[in-house]
Amino acid sequence: MSERAFYIDYSRCIGCQSCVQACAECDTHRGVSLIHLETIQRRESVQTAPQVCMHCEDPICARVCPADAIKKTPDGVVQSSLKPRCIGCSNCVLACPFGVPRYQVEIDQMMKCDYCYDRTSVDKKPMCATVCPSGALTFATAEEIQRSRRGIAINSWKFGNEVVKTKVFVIVPREVERVNVDLVQISPTPSALSEDPYDVALMLESVE
Amino acid sequence: MAKLPVDVPELVKQFGPTLNRVPAGGWVGSEEQDRMVKTHCCFCGQQCGIQLRVRNNKVVGWEPWEDFPFNLGKLCPKGVKRYMQDEHPDRLKHPLQRVVGKGFEPITWDAALSRVVSEIQRIQQTYGNDAFALLTGASLTNEKAYLMGKFARVALRTANIDYNGRLCMVSAGAASKKVFGIDRSANPWSDLPKAKVILAAGANIAECAPITTDYLWQARENGGKLIILDPRLTPIARNADLYIPVRSGGDIGIFNGMLHIMIERGWIDRDFIAQHTTGFEQVAEAVKKYTPEYSARIAGVPAEMIVRAAEMWGPAPTSFLLHSRGIEHHSKGVDNCIAAINLVVASGRIGREGCGYAMITGQGNGQGAREQGQKCDQLPGARDIENPEHRKYIAGVWGVPEESIPGKGLSAVPLVEAIHEGKIKGLLSICFNPTVSLPDANYVRAALEKLEFYVNIEFFLSETAQYADIVLAGSLMEEDEGTTTSVEGRVIHHRKVVSPPGEAREDWQIICEIARRLGHGDKFNYSSPHDIFEELRVASKGGVSDYYGITWEAIDKNYGMFWPCPEIGHPGTPRLYEGGKFGHPDGKAHFLPIEWRPSAEMPDEEYPIILTTGRVVSHFLSGTQTRRIGGLMDQYPQPLCEMHPRLAEKVGVKDGDFVKVESRRGSVVVHAQVVKTIRPDTVFIPYHWPLDRSANNMTIRAIDPVSNIPEFKICAVRVSKTEQPTDPIAKLEVQAGGIR
Amino acid sequence: MTKEKVKATFWAFLVTAILARLIVLGSRNLRNFDAALVGYTFATLFAVFGITRRYALWLQRPPTAMYWKRGWTVFWRLFRPRYLASNGIAFVRRIVVDFALTRFIWRRGRMRWAAHWFILWGGVTAAAITFPLVFGWIYFVTDADNFDWYRIHVFGYPTFAFPIRSVFGFFVFHGLVWSSVLVVAGVLLALRRRFRDHGAAALQRFGEDLLPLLLLFAISVTGLMLTASYTWMKGYGYDFLAVLHAITVIFTLLWLPFGKFFHIFQRPAQLGIDFYKRAGEEGGQAQCIRCGQPFATQLQIGDLKAVQSALCIQYGMQDGTHYQDVCPACRRKNLALTQDALWRTPEAELQRFDRF
Repeated sequence: MSERAFYIDYSRCIGCQSCVQACAECDTHRGVSLIHLETIQRRESVQTAPQVCMHCEDPICARVCPADAIKKTPDGVVQSSLKPRCIGCSNCVLACPFGVPRYQVEIDQMMKCDYCYDRTSVDKKPMCATVCPSGALTFATAEEIQRSRRGIAINSWKFGNEVVKTKVFVIVPREVERVNVDLVQISPTPSALSEDPYDVALMLESVE
Repeated sequence: MAKLPVDVPELVKQFGPTLNRVPAGGWVGSEEQDRMVKTHCCFCGQQCGIQLRVRNNKVVGWEPWEDFPFNLGKLCPKGVKRYMQDEHPDRLKHPLQRVVGKGFEPITWDAALSRVVSEIQRIQQTYGNDAFALLTGASLTNEKAYLMGKFARVALRTANIDYNGRLCMVSAGAASKKVFGIDRSANPWSDLPKAKVILAAGANIAECAPITTDYLWQARENGGKLIILDPRLTPIARNADLYIPVRSGGDIGIFNGMLHIMIERGWIDRDFIAQHTTGFEQVAEAVKKYTPEYSARIAGVPAEMIVRAAEMWGPAPTSFLLHSRGIEHHSKGVDNCIAAINLVVASGRIGREGCGYAMITGQGNGQGAREQGQKCDQLPGARDIENPEHRKYIAGVWGVPEESIPGKGLSAVPLVEAIHEGKIKGLLSICFNPTVSLPDANYVRAALEKLEFYVNIEFFLSETAQYADIVLAGSLMEEDEGTTTSVEGRVIHHRKVVSPPGEAREDWQIICEIARRLGHGDKFNYSSPHDIFEELRVASKGGVSDYYGITWEAIDKNYGMFWPCPEIGHPGTPRLYEGGKFGHPDGKAHFLPIEWRPSAEMPDEEYPIILTTGRVVSHFLSGTQTRRIGGLMDQYPQPLCEMHPRLAEKVGVKDGDFVKVESRRGSVVVHAQVVKTIRPDTVFIPYHWPLDRSANNMTIRAIDPVSNIPEFKICAVRVSKTEQPTDPIAKLEVQAGGIR
Repeated sequence: MTKEKVKATFWAFLVTAILARLIVLGSRNLRNFDAALVGYTFATLFAVFGITRRYALWLQRPPTAMYWKRGWTVFWRLFRPRYLASNGIAFVRRIVVDFALTRFIWRRGRMRWAAHWFILWGGVTAAAITFPLVFGWIYFVTDADNFDWYRIHVFGYPTFAFPIRSVFGFFVFHGLVWSSVLVVAGVLLALRRRFRDHGAAALQRFGEDLLPLLLLFAISVTGLMLTASYTWMKGYGYDFLAVLHAITVIFTLLWLPFGKFFHIFQRPAQLGIDFYKRAGEEGGQAQCIRCGQPFATQLQIGDLKAVQSALCIQYGMQDGTHYQDVCPACRRKNLALTQDALWRTPEAELQRFDRF
């Protein structure tokens, strides 16, 4: 495994779905796309949300798995469910704080992003992070990220009181040390903006 | 007679579009391959590097080509899934002839070509040389583009050849040529991240040039600001520092208004203007009346936005202007571009690092295909067909008398009008699907039906090829070799990956064979595309787009070569206009004053809404290829009519309803997509679908007087709720023009 | 030793002791026990000990315990008249489709299915034949009055007899041959995939994925060689082969509790999940607190919360809500919105929009 790591910057995403199309080209699950790309609320915004597996240090998916079917490789990659063990209960799907595992109805099993293990284990970039045109998903060295981003890369998250550390990093403004997750909707942060930050009609209100 | 031999559903049954979802040989491990070929994506002008995997002479997958400097392995969804067009069940593998009542049936090459040649001769002898026309495309390689131009002028001696770049790059090209004297993006993309302000006008970069996104985001990481002009809040606009929801056709208001403020506040480079430009006084005079308030009325946005744009652009240390079809697809497309470029020249920020200008080329070879002489008014090397010097040089290269080269012919839209009027009787087309891509599609279909003979070179039976008498099975990009010139002006090498399947042939061989049968074999005696390139180099020598010093070896060694490259060993010219040296004979940039004028059809009481058209990320142009690829169809299966909730409420439409959108020329029934991210006076429909789902049923046949680009970006429509259509076309699969 | 381990070890002793007792009883105080097979017997006892211990440990993990408990509750409901018909049909269907036919593997790939199905049925038939023979529970005796007939004794009791030289006899005596052929075919198919599929090659580990295939192959091939030796080669090398065969079998038995074969005992839990899902659906759907859409059964969300508190996963939010009540899609959307908002601080936004 190389010194390169996986970085997400959600705010860069343009929703093009290159990652979704390329994910199905990964040899460990060819023909099946496992990455998530959510259109957050198309009526209100064009914002989209890509999600790969964050590869937690102590994966909650594995902890809640009754079949003991989710394993981490020695280099910290949380793998898809072990096919002989997974009993298709969906505990992992429901408990993962990042909403990553997918229950595949046809095969009655969970599958998830496995860091393109066929590629990363031989020092190639994962499919999605190779093709991503926006750099929302990037596979690079820490030094490359430091040089090219104004923010910093962190890997600490807090959901309620649960602190989660991940192998995958997220890019955030410099002063942020941990992403504290509260429930939010599409809404502007400062009071100066309208309730609907992407409503073109509101932007044009002052036209005669 | 070029009419459909059987009805559309029957043709669709025989020739698709059907969806390919699984690569040749199935989803087996990708490592099993015979060869991996470094080449480029066949789709848009970004021309991303990609490696195709080959097993048993079949394309079975791909790998990123991370060394190619433009995209570094990045690909949009079209690039990722483009390999599914290979080994496709719809692929044409034999020449076909139209059989009334049956459809198309295979014939031998000899029979097909004999028929083509005898029809060409009959039509030209009966009605004159110009009665046989050629329509070509900007997705052809430089070699093929050159060959088509030469074929028209030498083998057919018809003036009437034009290409679908007419729907794409001509406004930008004409404006660039007028102001700078050269028609090419002035800078390589590596200058983008170094710009402190980037103004992108009418460019839905996230969907139409996705790879450029990272360049913009890099600029932002470096502290650069982004100004976006678009009637729709696009994914790029969401992160812009200033998003201006300009009314379609109101762009000059923004540009002239910005220049007005820049002059007023002293944010222009007087020294640069004095030394390197002409005509500034007239421009300053012209923009005097473009006060923020006046400009705002034209642009349909708050005046503060224009002021803010000027405040960001005016004093910036470095800046970059990008524009594309949003401001170019207008009956004043050239003027829109000139008004934008005036901002660049007035600031003096061009020709150095981080400072410049680029048009975002749409088609794969949008840049190169307009330089090699397949435009109705051009000869190779971007030479002028009316210029005696230019004619003489090319006549020499071709070994023909200068007077035998025809003059300027008709551009695409007038050419189709001439077919409709009966002046043009025969047509050969390649790489062009006008029934989907030209405006006023009903008119185009009616025109095709009037042809006495129509031959089409295609790899899939496109909606236009359905009208042909003879269809010649040609080649996909990866089945032939050649070069293209990318958005940056970088000449790159498309390698031959596999051979055409069945009896299908490389396009250049088909054209050369027709030329031979027409008795001009000596002028088309090429043994490979490389031979054609060698002649092209010479033909372009001394022209504006000088390829003389570019060899395939140099391209391979340097990841492409930027023209102009006047001699062997020359490093090429990634950045134009360094040191304020422009392309005009006087070495200066020429300011041109621009006045706003209304679009050809403005909304009125009867048709109160603006329709604007464009692309989505998973489809390319008329969809001949992308509507046959399962993954891409899943992503965006059928056209949607985007409208603001306020407009939707006014016309009584809810999200997902069937709506009828109609103009004075035609209509479509599509689903409504109610979104707040579009101006409430505008609706948007992507144009990749045919027949009753074609946005171009409504668009207007108005063209720019200079560039002849059609006005795709604005026409007047009305929208109403309707029921699900149940006619035979509606029942087709969505990729064929049906609706679900 | 932790409490869990003590408990598991107790169960392992108990089950092993029961089996040992059954062997003694079934073989009529070892009268019918073939002493040559003692190695196999002890390996089996060890395997049973190991499997039980691991199973018991596994059942004590909070999520497994929860499903174990729920699984039995819903299982016993099966016998209530209300559910008998529908659940009974579902039960039988599930057993046939998932266990006998392994449809879920069919959907993963035809070759994979063929490989697994051959190994599965080869293994099941082989186990069904060998274990009762090894334990002395079943043995064959030539009939006193007719040497051409064999009578089958089960637990020492004589049952029916059949002619030795009959089609039936041929099939019975070569039962292990048929099993071996199935297993060898399955193993070869599986190995083919593992060597040719680049994706599988990246993920597989020797001990976990290749060793079991090699063991099965070794057992089957040495077994077949034994047959070949006494059928066609007049017992050439028979003793050596017998030892070799015993080694492969005993090693596999000893390894059974630790490796991939443990799934044979674990996998039937899937049946419980099916009933759990059906029971959950009757109990109503949990709605996401962010989007209001149903996303799972209330039963499962409640159980998950209980499991999480047992595991010390603290998903309680500041405002009193619970992160477990957010659907996976909303979690993903929420994450992107959260990160995006970090960049849109009031200062940053006002700078962008200060003209308004």
